[in-house]
Amino acid sequence: MKTLIVSSLAAVALTLLVICPLYAQPPATPEALPIEEAGEEAATAGESDQSEQAPPPVVRASQVRRDESGAGSQTGPISGYMDFHLNKPEHEDPRLDFHRFVLLFNHSFSDRLRFIGEVEIEHALVEGLEESGELEIEQAYLDFRLKPALNFRAGMLLAPVGIINERHEPPSFFGVERPFVDTFIIPSTWFDAGAGVHGTFAGAWQYRAYLMAPLDATAITADEGLAEAKQSGFQSNVRNIAGTGRLEYVGQPGLTLGASFWRGETSFNFRRVESHVGLIEFDGRYHRGPLGLRGEFAQVYVDGADAINDFQQRATGINPNIARQMRGFYVEPSVRPLPKLKYDIGAFLRYENFDTQFRMPAGVLPLKQFDRSAWVAGASYYPDPDVVLKVDYTVIRNRSALFGSVDSLNIGLGWWF
Amino acid sequence: MRRRVRSRCATLAAALVAVILAAAQGSSQDRRVVRVLAERFTFTPSHITVKRGTVVEFRLRSDDTNHGFHIVGSNASVIIPKRGRGEATLVFDADAAGRYTFECSKMCGAGHSFMRGSITVEE
Repeated sequence: MKTLIVSSLAAVALTLLVICPLYAQPPATPEALPIEEAGEEAATAGESDQSEQAPPPVVRASQVRRDESGAGSQTGPISGYMDFHLNKPEHEDPRLDFHRFVLLFNHSFSDRLRFIGEVEIEHALVEGLEESGELEIEQAYLDFRLKPALNFRAGMLLAPVGIINERHEPPSFFGVERPFVDTFIIPSTWFDAGAGVHGTFAGAWQYRAYLMAPLDATAITADEGLAEAKQSGFQSNVRNIAGTGRLEYVGQPGLTLGASFWRGETSFNFRRVESHVGLIEFDGRYHRGPLGLRGEFAQVYVDGADAINDFQQRATGINPNIARQMRGFYVEPSVRPLPKLKYDIGAFLRYENFDTQFRMPAGVLPLKQFDRSAWVAGASYYPDPDVVLKVDYTVIRNRSALFGSVDSLNIGLGWWF
Repeated sequence: MRRRVRSRCATLAAALVAVILAAAQGSSQDRRVVRVLAERFTFTPSHITVKRGTVVEFRLRSDDTNHGFHIVGSNASVIIPKRGRGEATLVFDADAAGRYTFECSKMCGAGHSFMRGSITVEE
């Protein structure tokens, strides 16, 4: 019996000696580092990528701060993007244009309170009382972060409408110039003073809902639609407030589906006229492997367009021929065939239809030259994922028998840093 | 002879028990690899739920520019390499229940501040 007990104990001891280390011994990977060491690693890894095979930082949930005691105030580095274009319209001289020079600033007062600012110079030169470029504050807001599902934001905001308005870094879209729909139907870059909420929920949805300064009906035109109707935070009239929002599904890698709206009183400059602008928009982006597809549809409703036309005709002698509905859409298949190569390339074809005279008030005829379509074909070369050389050829057509359209060759260099 | 057989049976039983105990000890800290794709201005997936005791290894890849991955309330942050340039790894030891927020910690564009997500650690 004694032999049996001794033999059993010896077997257990031997087994434990042999087996337990196999489970208990930390693997060679660095995630098993004590948290103190991990903290140092984290600090090291914080400002560099892990291409040098540095051990990954380890975060223990039990040591995550629940208050803001460790989150000091800090200013992040300046970022920005630039867009440099050569445009050669048919039968015209080529033009070089440093289209956009944009700097972004950020500051964290704490984990919960952040500032983001974006300053843009368009067309390189800004002079008073002359037609030239623009100096704009496109974003300057404070974010009050409560929890992922509910955060507050106030200041100068980007209207959450469409693909391009909130996502317009040059390497992130094809084509030298932004889509026409995102210029005439959705007046990007569309920004103004406002406040609202945003957040994520259910793991796959994002939303924004803001109150913002409204559009100005006096600046809606037959040709450019809403492009010049923004108040842009310049002593914006807020006798009435516009509401805008966006809902996005982002639950699958590579897929984004979005819907946006805008609704606001626009006639603060016409005391006896009431008009509203409403806009609905749907968009989608998908890419898988080398193939990509994106599309967008937007429709604008100008309630009281007839009254605006009458008022403008009486005031200036010219009827602006503002439509009661405008509509635009585009579809853009693309390919990036060499994703494994260090130097990436891409090609795309975009069809756009944009009509700023889609539905007219009773008794007003549409100006057919503003019912337009465009084919844009081009390619992009990325020497770095943040640097892009673009070339495209744009063919524009309209429905007028009297007015022609001008095709153009465009070359662009854009970068983000 | 009978005693020897009994002894060997007991030895085998003890070894079996030891193996089971050791295996049980090992499984008390499950490992899980979560692959996250970052692109302007989302993480996919942006919400992860795990059981307490799980060690989550985040493998982070970008489809465009550099992004950051930072768990709010910690000092740890990694830079996710640009598209086509590999991945970053961060390990999250879910040893306490609760909800933890992660976010992009490197300015990546106009919608940078929308890049957030959460980890829910359940009991």
